[in-house]
Amino acid sequence: MAFPLLEARAGETMLLLGNEAIVRGALEGGVAVVTCYPGTPSSEVPDAFFRMRGAGNYYFEYSVNEKVALEVAGGAALGGLPALATMKHVGVNVAADPLMTLCQVTVPGGLVLLSADDPGCHSSQNEQDNRYYARLAGMPCLEPATAQEAKDMATFALLLSHETAHPVMLRTTTRVNHLRGQVTLGEIPAKLRRRGSVKNPRQFVPLPAHARQHHPALLDRMEAIREKAESSPFNRVSGLGPVGVIATGISRAYARDVLLEDPGLAEKVSLFELGFTYPLPEAALLDFIKGRDTVVVLEELEPILENELRVLIQKNGLKTAVVGKGECLPRHGEYTTAIVRNALRQVLSLAPVSVRHATPTPDLPQRPPNMCAGCPHRASFLAVRQVFGDEAYYSSDIGCYTLGILPPYRAADFTLCMGSSISAGSGFALAADKPVVAFIGDSTFFHSGITGLVNAVFNGHNLLLVILDNHTTGMTGHQPNPGVDATIHGENATRVDIMTLVTACGVTQVKKVNPVNNKAAVAAITELAAASGVRVLIAEEPCPIHARRVKKSAKAVTAHVAGDPAGCRDVMETVACPAFYIENGRFAINESQCTGCMLCAQICREIKAKSKEAGK
Amino acid sequence: MNPNMVRMRIFLTGVGGQGTLTATTLLAKAALDAGFTVTAGEIHGMAQRGGVVESAVLLGGFLSPKVGFGEADLLLGFEPLETLRALPYLVQGGVVVSNTQAVPPLRVSLGQDTYPKQDVIEAKVGQWAARAVFVPCQDLGTRAGSAQSANMVLLGAAAGAGALPFGLDALEKAVSAYLKPALAGVNLAALRLGAEAAA
Repeated sequence: MAFPLLEARAGETMLLLGNEAIVRGALEGGVAVVTCYPGTPSSEVPDAFFRMRGAGNYYFEYSVNEKVALEVAGGAALGGLPALATMKHVGVNVAADPLMTLCQVTVPGGLVLLSADDPGCHSSQNEQDNRYYARLAGMPCLEPATAQEAKDMATFALLLSHETAHPVMLRTTTRVNHLRGQVTLGEIPAKLRRRGSVKNPRQFVPLPAHARQHHPALLDRMEAIREKAESSPFNRVSGLGPVGVIATGISRAYARDVLLEDPGLAEKVSLFELGFTYPLPEAALLDFIKGRDTVVVLEELEPILENELRVLIQKNGLKTAVVGKGECLPRHGEYTTAIVRNALRQVLSLAPVSVRHATPTPDLPQRPPNMCAGCPHRASFLAVRQVFGDEAYYSSDIGCYTLGILPPYRAADFTLCMGSSISAGSGFALAADKPVVAFIGDSTFFHSGITGLVNAVFNGHNLLLVILDNHTTGMTGHQPNPGVDATIHGENATRVDIMTLVTACGVTQVKKVNPVNNKAAVAAITELAAASGVRVLIAEEPCPIHARRVKKSAKAVTAHVAGDPAGCRDVMETVACPAFYIENGRFAINESQCTGCMLCAQICREIKAKSKEAGK
Repeated sequence: MNPNMVRMRIFLTGVGGQGTLTATTLLAKAALDAGFTVTAGEIHGMAQRGGVVESAVLLGGFLSPKVGFGEADLLLGFEPLETLRALPYLVQGGVVVSNTQAVPPLRVSLGQDTYPKQDVIEAKVGQWAARAVFVPCQDLGTRAGSAQSANMVLLGAAAGAGALPFGLDALEKAVSAYLKPALAGVNLAALRLGAEAAA
């Protein structure tokens, strides 16, 4: 089978990544349109749809940003097709504007938003809790804890949205996206489930007069959906003990494992697992809570469920105590089996268990993330440093190049979010006593850098912008963007040229160099540094990993120390390539890691190129 | 072993590029096909750029896709420094199967930091684990046909040491079923060399 996710039959059991299970679930739910902006931990979902594009009966796109992704998917759903938009949690901030309105105007085809949250900040700038968005927008929310549920809930979310014409949130966390578990498959429908496109401006155009009608209608729909949550098989009770435990998301897995391993504890509690988490199934929860002295609420991050339960208890005049966020259950980071075990033990007045473990060995060498050998960003940072050193403020952005923060480059002084380097850099320059140099990658520039650049030109800001154009979206797994020349499916015939775009934004001082040509890069930066106003340097060189995978191209040479290794001290410090090493006190270059960019040879005359063939 | 009688947490650790996640998925699929219920977990993203890669395979009904300190019954270390770093995950009296061959961190390569000595690593592991098996995975992988198959050498060693609740045959079946056919020969040889080295 070329694409098991697409081709495996109903009834088969597969071991699937949580994100793969979501893909299969969406296919079983009859998804017709999939849009996304990639971002860890969501990226394997769109990447699978991209690989299978052409084989499956759906339209797929990498959109330029999350707002656009949700608008394209929302538009398709307005027009009658079942649609899915995927993004990481901070992406929903970008998409928040259309999200609010889509919940108001309804989506006849059905629309599911996958929000992949990241408690613990494994690969994100924050750990915001997007369950708040379900409340803010007024949309149902489903939270899987296993791969099977990830599939089943993706299917159910699409069907629910199609049936009610109301957008639905599928909210995951990193652990759920990246777990693997066994999944029994269902049927992928052969026929597209669609509604015809209709003109209905009263419903679909939120003029204030319409919007006033939309709001009570939204509240009515959510009440009707609450009835479905009351009887949903995704909400279930187990156990017969007196203490109530109400758990959501991956906390359910930790609770189940704690009870699995400690039957003594298990017989003292009853567990309400909430999978269809919003609107809250109030009647089912009241049934569970009534007659109990205490309920423990297990939810990572914000005390959302906890506070809603407190309101429910107060409204119904109950005396049940709620144990939630506090000493045992932190409001930040991920939960663990140890955290859940001790929270339950505390409620049961049992002494906490401290798990015995070996003491971590102090001061072990670390392996911090680093730019790869041959990364053209390294060359760009080196050239900028050669011109500015510490005499500039560096406005960075989101991508591999955020790693420019590391020594020896130290080329990131502040970063906010996708696309912020230009606009926040513009503002910082108003306050700064030194020039501001901003860095942005090509995909991030398309995502939300262009508006900042137009603003900088229009308002006469003073900023040197370096666009690090490596022809791919490196950080999240090499997804295409509008500027790429090729993808795994072939040439990009509709490539958007960054130079033309920058010029069209009104920038008059713009240069393009290959940053790996150090002399040219330094000359260009020196010239732009002497000017003022908005200046742009396009540093263009493909990411070597992307070039190898997609274009099957690699350099024919590697670097080696031809002269005196003792003369390589400086290059080791300033270029700091991971292919460098010291053996028996002598500097050397690992030829299997070297990509042949030859940046180091331009800095140090002891290093020369040699052809890979000759080296054998 | 009867799949219904086994409950086990396996923690895997290595360095980006070593094939730790490929091995994790293969181990999970082998276990599933041998009749065990399986949950596995991994963390992607920034960790992959030469960083530490940690993953977990849990057998016998666990639902949590991760392992906490003091919880792992078996620690599979694809790189010796990472074996030592991950030792706190091992339950006291657990089993360690580890590679002996280092992937030096950048600061070590540049002479700015010191890599712990192998005998120190083995001594620290020995103080906590009931049993520890150390195997030169790259060397055996090279002998099997490719140093890249070092990850399969380590899985083979785990089976050869009797540290898994199923035999080498389950891993062999999984390699044949799930890895690219062109690589099956090398990987099967790697499994066997690992198993012999650990037996």
